[in-house]
Amino acid sequence: MEATFSNLVLGFSTVFNPANIFYALVGCLIGTMVGVLPGVGPLAGISMLLPTTFGLNPTSAIILLAGIYYGAMYGGSTTSILMRIPGEAASVITCIDGYAMAQKGRAGPALAIAAIGSYISGTLSVVGLMFLAPPLAKFALGFGPPEYFSLLFCGLIVLSYMTGGSIVKNLAMIVLGLMFGMIGIDQMTGYFRFSYGLVALGDGIGIVPVAVGLFGISEILATAGQSEKREVLKPRLRDLLPSKQEFKDSVGPIGRGTILGFLIGIIPGSAHIISTFVSYAMERRLSKHPERFGKGAIEGVAGPESANNAASEGALVPMLALGVPTGPIPAVLLAALMVHGINPGPLFIKEQPVIFWGLIASMYVGNMVLLLLNLPMVGLFVNFLRVPYRILYPTILMFCVVGVYAVNSSLVDVGIMSVMGVIGYLLRKFDFETAPIVLGVVLAPIIEFSFRQALAMSNGDYMIFIQRPISAVFLVVALVMILLGLKPLIWKKKDWRERLTEAEKSS
Amino acid sequence: MVWERRVLPLGTHTQPGPGYFPLLLAILLIIFGGILIARGGLTRAFRSLSWSEAPHAIAILACSVLATLFMERIGYRITMIIILGFLFGVLERIRLWQALTLTLGLALGSFWLFDSLLRVPLPRGGWGF
Repeated sequence: MEATFSNLVLGFSTVFNPANIFYALVGCLIGTMVGVLPGVGPLAGISMLLPTTFGLNPTSAIILLAGIYYGAMYGGSTTSILMRIPGEAASVITCIDGYAMAQKGRAGPALAIAAIGSYISGTLSVVGLMFLAPPLAKFALGFGPPEYFSLLFCGLIVLSYMTGGSIVKNLAMIVLGLMFGMIGIDQMTGYFRFSYGLVALGDGIGIVPVAVGLFGISEILATAGQSEKREVLKPRLRDLLPSKQEFKDSVGPIGRGTILGFLIGIIPGSAHIISTFVSYAMERRLSKHPERFGKGAIEGVAGPESANNAASEGALVPMLALGVPTGPIPAVLLAALMVHGINPGPLFIKEQPVIFWGLIASMYVGNMVLLLLNLPMVGLFVNFLRVPYRILYPTILMFCVVGVYAVNSSLVDVGIMSVMGVIGYLLRKFDFETAPIVLGVVLAPIIEFSFRQALAMSNGDYMIFIQRPISAVFLVVALVMILLGLKPLIWKKKDWRERLTEAEKSS
Repeated sequence: MVWERRVLPLGTHTQPGPGYFPLLLAILLIIFGGILIARGGLTRAFRSLSWSEAPHAIAILACSVLATLFMERIGYRITMIIILGFLFGVLERIRLWQALTLTLGLALGSFWLFDSLLRVPLPRGGWGF
């Protein structure tokens, strides 16, 4: 405990210099804009802006990128409440009661409770992250190649189960991502694989062109040219403060949403999306007046918004402690750290205390900045929503090209982005999730390396994965997830994942 | 993948080669693909998909390909002026003065922001622009 606090002091001493506070502020501001603008999700936002951090030191860079990440989570609620359009996927559920409140002239309190709930859950989740990540990293120091392979395998299976929709489609997408990750020089033998003479592919396919293509370009391809009739409800900022009753009604949902969101956030998959749906369902079940839900119940805003923010910070626990991203956004953050010469993993916290504790401290600061920023500036953010999409998408396309090119000064990356854009567009058409591909690309080199090392250790005996207890536990969890995922194929009954996918689409 | 992998040594179970893991993945993808094809009848019909955005999508994709092929030859600013000018002026039919202002402002402004201010080198093309 004492060590934690002395480390936290180290973190605050890192953050409390004018430059880092400035980057936290800029990150939060850009993140909020990214979250507000429909069509620019946090993933594409972080990927596009990654090159802007190249000139910064690693601590400042990660503070800026993390600010964009949780800023986007905050910002997503604004469009949901004022337009019934989720700024990012995790705000889908906020549309229901948030927009209903706005129609009743209670947009101000809805926005305020979303911001306050996000602040409280964000801050409490950082406490959880602070206490959970270091012991987890210590535990993971005992992992050998078999444990690492099984952990990653289990993580990918859990991801395919938790992502929603068909588990077979999700598994196929993970395998496709792993295949993309095979491109480039084999780290163990030096062989060029699937690079077709292109030297630029020697280092493999970068995460940034893949993420920007699958999430940025495919979104533009799918949505450009569609009619854009947007009605933006103007919040009455005079009435921003929630009433006493609204505050009272929000306390429980914020607390429950925080705990739920943080715990779900640690699990691989679309954690922040799932957490909002679970929180909403839980609040409706616990409410004495469930009939109010859907008609402007503040609990329907407070719970999911808190859960969403808590999940986004919970997702950083495995990324920072184990070097294992649980979703595409932590995967891009992981790649960003690697660009700056840092390899997250069990040794990261021990070897890079300034960066780790600086990031933790910046989150406390960032959450405060977002609370102070979001409410007074909501009018400004609303104006961004008035920019017509036909002006917005060419601008996004331009940032995609610059962002991807700047990572390696390579046009091959821009080409990969275009190809991934087409793949993403077609996959969306056929109801495939693209997030598992991103994770597959990131994890492919580690999972293959661990797999081959483990087989070399055991003289080719696959039993090594079962004989080692920790590895066996991960494999059992993976097996349970596969069986659960296959249940609807056998019983032909919709499970919660299919209902979740349908709810997301119908919003 | 299975075909392309043939040039890579498979290795042994004890010492898996560079082709071992890709082959495993290819087999898995074939299995998942087979399951999806077998269950294809349960999904919605291909004809029911709407492709109304396809003309726009093709034009945008063409812009992206143009950037890939020519950005280093003609420079970032000229490439972006062509792409943005086409998207704003031709595809979206925004008023001429608006399209011009947006095209020049964004193309030159983004170059200034990234190249001059943030020191992220962007291509200048054969004649230094």
